[in-house]
Amino acid sequence: MMIQDRKTSPVPCAGGSPSANGLSRRGFLQTVAATGGGLLLSVSLPLRRGAAAPAGTVEFAPSAFVRIGNDGQIVLTMPYVEMGQGTYTSISMLIAEELEVNLAQVRLEPAPPNKKLFGNPFLAGEQATGGSTAMRATWTSMREAGATARTMLVSAAAKRWNVDPASCLARNGEVVHASSGRSVGYGEIAADAALIPMPDSVALKQPKDFRLIGLQAKRLDAPAKVNGTAVFGIDARPPGVKVATLAQSPVFGGRLKSVNATAASAVNGVRQIVQLDDAVAVVADHMGAARKGLAALAIEWNDGPNAKLSTQDIVDDLARAMLGSGEVAQNIGDCDTAMAGAVTRVDATYQLPFLAHATMEPMNCTVHVREDSCEVWIGSQVAERTQAAAARVTGLPLDKVVVHNHLLGG
Amino acid sequence: MMVMTFAIKVNGAVHQVDVDGDTPLLWVLRDVLGMTGTKFGCGMALCGACTVHLDGVAARSCITSIDSIADSKITTIEAIGTTSAGARVQQAWLDREVVQCGYCQSGQIMSASALLSSNPTPTDSDIDDAMSGNICRCGTYLRIREAIKHAAQSSSGED
Repeated sequence: MMIQDRKTSPVPCAGGSPSANGLSRRGFLQTVAATGGGLLLSVSLPLRRGAAAPAGTVEFAPSAFVRIGNDGQIVLTMPYVEMGQGTYTSISMLIAEELEVNLAQVRLEPAPPNKKLFGNPFLAGEQATGGSTAMRATWTSMREAGATARTMLVSAAAKRWNVDPASCLARNGEVVHASSGRSVGYGEIAADAALIPMPDSVALKQPKDFRLIGLQAKRLDAPAKVNGTAVFGIDARPPGVKVATLAQSPVFGGRLKSVNATAASAVNGVRQIVQLDDAVAVVADHMGAARKGLAALAIEWNDGPNAKLSTQDIVDDLARAMLGSGEVAQNIGDCDTAMAGAVTRVDATYQLPFLAHATMEPMNCTVHVREDSCEVWIGSQVAERTQAAAARVTGLPLDKVVVHNHLLGG
Repeated sequence: MMVMTFAIKVNGAVHQVDVDGDTPLLWVLRDVLGMTGTKFGCGMALCGACTVHLDGVAARSCITSIDSIADSKITTIEAIGTTSAGARVQQAWLDREVVQCGYCQSGQIMSASALLSSNPTPTDSDIDDAMSGNICRCGTYLRIREAIKHAAQSSSGED
């Protein structure tokens, strides 16, 4: 997709922004005619790092894309993954609210990993979904994107009708000129809108005028999740792919001592037994054969330095560590004096065990390694780390590793 | 064990599959037939994510060996909407906004539609009994119960 830089000056934005730590409020936007017709907006989330560079010198790095097609369909490409928290729906609401379209008109596409393009400003520029940051990171920029597109669509329609844009309004995916009874759908006017210079500033809606934000919305991902068509990482089925399952050392730091794979190799459908330092994998035509093969392996482990480590040992280690002085993460006011003068003191110890997330969708990943490239199918909160890991293992440069991110089964 | 050819009826179509007789139906559906709507959660019939219907009765496909199915009709999430109870349950799931991550919901819907097929007006206790084998880590249980009641009510005047 070709993206031309037609805008270098920052767009002033309304609304609050977490700027206490120097986070820039410049929500950069670019607009361009979309491939295949329509209007494409590129949205740049302000990055925490390097935000102090003067306007015009910052390289445009879009974080999300909004495409308004000739068919009126709104496609939002964004870096946040959906794992039940509703981010596909809530971020679409921001766009739909300002764009004056129904939520059902917005379709979501997960973004491929690209730290530069999709970094989360609240997670130090890492492309990640976590820490309840997605809404905070997109609250202003996604609304600006919607408002900018709406303003340009209105301008394009007004130009076509040769009327004052102020006499037109956007409503339900249409621009309406009430006094002459004319209306035009976004899809029909989107290509014209792409030729309109992007406005220097746009007015965001006032909260009292919200018809989506703050109200109950139907989840956009629900229909596919009730009829079996939703695709999670584990559902990826590239042509010709084999499946594998593995046994890992039951102790951190343990190593494979020996494995007898005779019985496993004889299982119908098993293709290969792979021995690693700390794991054994069974590759097969289908997971039924792979699991049967795995169960047939006779494995001996060398448990290594942590063989005798117990939960109590870990608790004791942590307790001992707390006796030291430690690092100061933040120091506001005079804590020592306040504590010394406290009327009430509460002494309490809270302990939590180490627990696996135990997601319903078992950990999984599908990889196709070719001589000069690598493709990965996964559902990941941090697709960028997946990309880096694949590049490290294959020795390929990052740009030769493509990660297809999916819904996550939380 | 010898690979055999099994003819199984899935959603009204007959499929010939060449696998060991002890292969769980789950993997035949997902990996041999490519029908990924039925989910793998635990492989031990502990979570319910893999629930399908055998002759209209809920079954955990992860422990249902292919050689035990014989002529039973298999119905999966991909086709449950063609049954009256299944269509009502799917609509109720949408009306009551049940899903979150959605991973367990294929199994939940299969268990719920089997329940309504055999018991059109389930009590809370009936619902608990029928659904207790389906776990949801998002915690959608209360909405699942409401949706099942909603689907039960939507059947009045039908069938």
